[in-house]
Amino acid sequence: MQKSARWTYVPLVGIALCFVIPFLIMAFGSILKMRIPTSNPFLWFSEEITIENFTYILKNAEFIRWIINSTIITVIPVFAQMFFAAVLGYIFAKKEFPFKNIIFWTMMAVIMLPSQLLIIPRYIMFSEFGWINTYLPLIVPEIWGILGVFFVRQYMQTLPKDLEEAARIDGAGDFTIFFKIMLPLSKPVIATVGTFAFISNWNDLLTPLIFTTSQDMYPVTVGLASLLTKEGNFGVEMAGSLLSFIPTFLIFLFFQRYFVKGIALSGLK
Amino acid sequence: MPLQNHSKTSFSKKVILNFKKHAIVYIFLVPILIHFAIFHLYPILFSLYITFMKWPIIGEAEFIGLDNWIAFLSDELAWKAIWNTILFSLYYIVPTMALGLGLALLINQGKKGSAIFKGIFFLPVVTSFVVISGIWSWLFKGTESGLVNVLLHNFGIDTQLFLSSSAQALIVLAGLSIFKVCGSTMIYYYAGLQSIPEEYYEAARIDGANRWKLFWKITFPLLLPIHFYVAIITSIGSFQIFDSAFLLTSGGPNYSTTTIVYYLYHQGFTSLRLGYASVLAYVLFFIIFGLSLIQKRYFGKEVDYK
Repeated sequence: MQKSARWTYVPLVGIALCFVIPFLIMAFGSILKMRIPTSNPFLWFSEEITIENFTYILKNAEFIRWIINSTIITVIPVFAQMFFAAVLGYIFAKKEFPFKNIIFWTMMAVIMLPSQLLIIPRYIMFSEFGWINTYLPLIVPEIWGILGVFFVRQYMQTLPKDLEEAARIDGAGDFTIFFKIMLPLSKPVIATVGTFAFISNWNDLLTPLIFTTSQDMYPVTVGLASLLTKEGNFGVEMAGSLLSFIPTFLIFLFFQRYFVKGIALSGLK
Repeated sequence: MPLQNHSKTSFSKKVILNFKKHAIVYIFLVPILIHFAIFHLYPILFSLYITFMKWPIIGEAEFIGLDNWIAFLSDELAWKAIWNTILFSLYYIVPTMALGLGLALLINQGKKGSAIFKGIFFLPVVTSFVVISGIWSWLFKGTESGLVNVLLHNFGIDTQLFLSSSAQALIVLAGLSIFKVCGSTMIYYYAGLQSIPEEYYEAARIDGANRWKLFWKITFPLLLPIHFYVAIITSIGSFQIFDSAFLLTSGGPNYSTTTIVYYLYHQGFTSLRLGYASVLAYVLFFIIFGLSLIQKRYFGKEVDYK
């Protein structure tokens, strides 16, 4: 057993290397002075190291604007989604009111439909509203999501009833119970909702591609995509990719355990 | 008169009391229901209406009945897009599952450092398609400067066209998706593996089963619900593929990477045919709905380990 366990590291390390190499190419590529990669990758180590690629990108004032745009259209929905997941999760898990289950499962069913179905009607709606090329179409529809509500609801259903009853006897209302008991107890699942929302909003391409039309309104995904198609300069492209990757990487580092838990949770009930 | 008055106050009192009791429901659920109606329910119904319209982005919309649907039936490019998407799924689903399961098994074996390996395999899942496509486009450039071609030269293999070849481009895109997604497949399988009781293996080992038998007789069949779930979610994902086709090949060469969603985007926002693009959205919906029905039908039958 011990011996065989040691052998599993050979393929494990091998595959892990394959996974790391693209990211290493990005990291090295971004600091080397190469418009087109040198034919022999081992010669990369003798290439001149430079920060020119980064200064080029950052002088391209739009890039900073893209990062700011991405931040705006990510951070606001993330906090909104965390809040609404918590409060709606509480309502659907613990409160009784007419049509509760019908409302919940209708929402579930409709929001689970493929999002591509929404692109065109929303485009027409948002044109009418005058929202095209503003932050609104990227923020307003994203303030809550059914998956987050579902997570929190599942979690709160497992919390013992005694907690709530004890608080009610002490005269606490719903708001006190929600803010003082349910919310603190549900921190891990709310963090899961937040991390998922961050990654999906930061990385989204199709929605902003359609709803933003001028360069200065692009989020970094669309901006970088436009850069990739016109540059053809390896170093600059890798520097841009690296800069847009860093926020997701940091979120990933800090919240990795929530991701893994959340993925398992979403799949296995 | 006074009696009536009395009952009136008691009614409004009741309403107020009821409101107080359910205040949190009214204050938060009602606005969200309105939001749901405006941004989800209405657009979904509206998009069905749009399919019966000639709706250019600029200019007047015009009712044309079933013309868009009929146009779809005879649109060879639309069928090619569907076929490309099916082909993409064939290249993508089984390798994603196999790699995910393989990684989960390896991590389950080598417990030491499993957190680091899980992190490494999961990293592409959280990285945007744009970033990965940026790297991929240099890896699979169909020229001498393509990094994979450079590598192949060292083994004496000729320059491959990769992204500029209509035979290879879709396979390269599938490779990118496998790389991006198999980390989450791994997590599903890892969770599944951990729920299989160790006693099953011990009992089988006493009966003299080797590792190969252990895998095929215990592990693989007990993971059946996971296989099924993963197969369905990866196939749903594969029908929605867009980003890499848009970023790396723009649907080409020779339409070989024009997927359903790419074609939808192209029809709607390049050819400015919103009505027709809505038909494509519905076709996509029917396919995914069918897949979800299969999932609902079979995923209910869960294997009980206990």
